[in-house]
Amino acid sequence: MTEAAAKRPPFLRARRIGVIARHAFTQLVRMKVFYFLAVFAVILLASNLIDLPQHAGPESVGAGVLRSIKSWSLGTMTLFSVVLGITATALLLPKDVEDRTLYTILAKPVPRLDYLAGKLLGVLLLVLVSLALMDALMTGALHLRTGRVLEQQTQLAQAQGWPAEEIAAMRTDTLAQGPSWSLQGAVAAVFLRAVVMAAVALLLSTFSTSTLFTVIVSFLVYFIGHFQADALDFARQSGHAGQSQSARLLAGSVALVFPNFQIFNVIDAVIQGAVLPLAALAKLAAVTGYYFILYVLSSWFVFAKKEF
Amino acid sequence: MTVPAVEIRDLVKEFRTSFRREPLRAVDGVSITIQPGEIYGLIGPNGSGKSTTMKALLGLVAPTAGSCAIFGKDSLKVDSRDDVGFLPENPYFYKHLTGAETLRFYGKLCGLGGKTLHDRVGELLALVGLESARDRRVGGYSKGMLQRIGLAQALVQEPRLVILDEPTAGVDPIGSRQIRDLILTLGERGITVFLCSHLLEQVQEVCDRVGIIFRGKLVREGRLDELTAIEDQTEIVLRDATPELIAEIEALAKRHGAGWLQAGKPRTTLERLFLRETQGDDR
Repeated sequence: MTEAAAKRPPFLRARRIGVIARHAFTQLVRMKVFYFLAVFAVILLASNLIDLPQHAGPESVGAGVLRSIKSWSLGTMTLFSVVLGITATALLLPKDVEDRTLYTILAKPVPRLDYLAGKLLGVLLLVLVSLALMDALMTGALHLRTGRVLEQQTQLAQAQGWPAEEIAAMRTDTLAQGPSWSLQGAVAAVFLRAVVMAAVALLLSTFSTSTLFTVIVSFLVYFIGHFQADALDFARQSGHAGQSQSARLLAGSVALVFPNFQIFNVIDAVIQGAVLPLAALAKLAAVTGYYFILYVLSSWFVFAKKEF
Repeated sequence: MTVPAVEIRDLVKEFRTSFRREPLRAVDGVSITIQPGEIYGLIGPNGSGKSTTMKALLGLVAPTAGSCAIFGKDSLKVDSRDDVGFLPENPYFYKHLTGAETLRFYGKLCGLGGKTLHDRVGELLALVGLESARDRRVGGYSKGMLQRIGLAQALVQEPRLVILDEPTAGVDPIGSRQIRDLILTLGERGITVFLCSHLLEQVQEVCDRVGIIFRGKLVREGRLDELTAIEDQTEIVLRDATPELIAEIEALAKRHGAGWLQAGKPRTTLERLFLRETQGDDR
């Protein structure tokens, strides 16, 4: 028995997954994906310049800019996290097979599930770090801009002789458009959506022979995911109307297999200043967990039988 | 009774090609047993089933029939890889890692860490002669250096068995010699080596036993000296022998009824000539 085999350190599997995840993260970082942050900074600056035509009242001064910053930032975060989650995951596995580095890894005592989990977690770590950096930029910009907007609104309201209580109410409304815990919750929702998409890409890449196929089909799934709930409702109604049982089964199957991305629409409400309850975020996390486990276990099922 | 390092029993591997066609039988009833400490060479032409046999042994492909075991553990089980190191044909490692980082990565996969891993990485880089390139990215390594770092990663967890698939493919004669010397060093350390190649001279230089695989079947197997010896011939090599001495030996041989087949200057190999002229290597 070798020294390595004889003295297995505790939590070896978790450590091994961590090693693969850190390596995948480093690999992607050295592909210079963080250059995207410069693009994000430009978009953030541009969003600062967008303001809708004002109404007469002081309460509308600058409110459009704050919504614009949130909308553009969260939109860019969604785009970046989904694109990165899909393409990076779709790229890493075929590249290892093509370069035969997979042979050397699987020839070590590395279970295939550990390899898959490590790769996926590496991608998700990169998405998380990127989102955290973008979130910091967005929150910083929003904080500064909210302060300026409040100042302008207060001056204008005082000039127009508004009573103190109305000014205070206006400030409360404006502050709700600024940095908030709900906004952080929306960023978390963006991350959770990327988690689901990365897991979808992982599953596809285990049986696909082409990165392009994986990317295209993953985006197709992303698209279908936005209509999954509608299709399910339609099929359920048809079933209630006395139509075939197969429609119910089909609807159930679609709901089980395809992710429902309509539940992530809470992000839009947060952009408009709505509060995101913790329970809603917990529900999103639970649904994400379900899809994550479903797709990762399916990936393992395919990958465990795969021959190289 | 010693557990064999490698035990392949009646291995059959078929691949599906396309619809309606018969499956392609890449390996057809191969059985190989390698005892601990042996250097075994599996030789055969391209496409004869060498690599598929190795992949089956490593669990990278599942046998259609038969079984493979490493030190008694089924190859399809992960723990069979505790004691094995593998160098694939034409390996490419992560280009963004340096030589030392590459070895650390593979070491951590095997559960190594801390000072043990640090020392092991230094030891392996010294063994394969890559100390000066330890902090260079693998993307900038030459073919020979890639093979050597590949050999080092195969050895990182101190395995008792090393499997090498065409270890000198595409490597220049100097690099090839270095890799052969490393294989001999492994043999001296008691590590079992299972090597497959179609370079016969290389196998002849390092292996104790060889198997010849052709169209998926093991057609011949045995100790190298037994397989290559010509039983009814004897070779005498003399230094500074005069023509008169040669004539006298020839006459003596004929008087005793021995057939005189040939006498002449022995030839060095082109490879040895190349090594002598470029490296001052007189072996």
